[in-house]
Amino acid sequence: MSTQSSSPWRAYDWQLIQSAPITPIMHMALDEALLEEVAAGRRPPTLRIWEWAASAVVIGRFQSLRNEVDLDNARRYGVQVVRRITGGGAMFIEPGNTITYSIYAPVDLVAGMSTVESYAFCDRWVLDALASLGVEAWYQPINDITSAAGKIGGAAQTRRNGAVLHHVTMAYDIDSARMMEVLRIGREKLSDKGIASAAKRVDPLRRQTGLPRTAIIERMIDTFRTQHGLTDSSITPEEWQIAGQLVETKFGTEEWLRTVP
Amino acid sequence: MHGEYKIPGGKLVVIDLNVTDGALRDVVLSGDFFLEPAEALEWMAAALEGLPADTPVETIAARVRDAATHAELLGITPEGVAEAVRRALQGGAQ
Repeated sequence: MSTQSSSPWRAYDWQLIQSAPITPIMHMALDEALLEEVAAGRRPPTLRIWEWAASAVVIGRFQSLRNEVDLDNARRYGVQVVRRITGGGAMFIEPGNTITYSIYAPVDLVAGMSTVESYAFCDRWVLDALASLGVEAWYQPINDITSAAGKIGGAAQTRRNGAVLHHVTMAYDIDSARMMEVLRIGREKLSDKGIASAAKRVDPLRRQTGLPRTAIIERMIDTFRTQHGLTDSSITPEEWQIAGQLVETKFGTEEWLRTVP
Repeated sequence: MHGEYKIPGGKLVVIDLNVTDGALRDVVLSGDFFLEPAEALEWMAAALEGLPADTPVETIAARVRDAATHAELLGITPEGVAEAVRRALQGGAQ
């Protein structure tokens, strides 16, 4: 704990969670469970690095399932379709192609900022990590991490009982053809981007760095640790149990998946 | 019927609805915007339910704004919702 530092991050004893690959639906449940645990003060603020056990389409809290996802193709390719608790857009996830992380923190971390400002603030360390790997990336409001060569990733936030969840998915690599088969991306969405193809909008980190995915994740963790401090942690048995219950009662139900039909 | 509107500098707003006896029915509002609290999605959709299909867009926007008074809207505006409704009613085509 630095008493001199003006960084709001340094007010907290940040915990790092890196777990073995887990299912997309369990990831959704863990995000809610850990957000509530941080909100309740039972868990210190935490950075969680995700590993995916299966391919997935993750749709935003307010997106229409039928408008966003080709369910027949998703089933055909074994792509699991889940809905997350944050807004934002649909993502096509393949385990080796994606870098995903969550930050769970008291809202005090972003006190005095507008929501738009807080998005960029929460990912400043990531932009620094990418810069150290030679990738000049910046924030494109509201919630995009982008570069001259194309979009790299997107963030989403929600707030609950005095805590904020900020999570991000970045493209390490991308199978654009498969993505276009499982996502329905309309022309209207691209109308003010001036780009004809959704696939062209993304320029993944593999191409930009030439590094293995794990090397990028390691650099991200190192950067967070250097800037904000970081203690190794793990998901507790109680947290696994809460998340498991949320899978049964919420995230695994058709009602939740189709909450916006 | 289906209408979409990409808010400049914001997000995509999508409306799906039916018109029965001249009134908006089965209104579903969706998109890649952000709302706090999440229930604001239902508040706004409910404000459109039953409106006469010839309601002026300004009135639609005002209804949505009233419904969302206690919500934080990010990437979505009442005017954008009204425009998506207008587009849905106009053609239904995407």
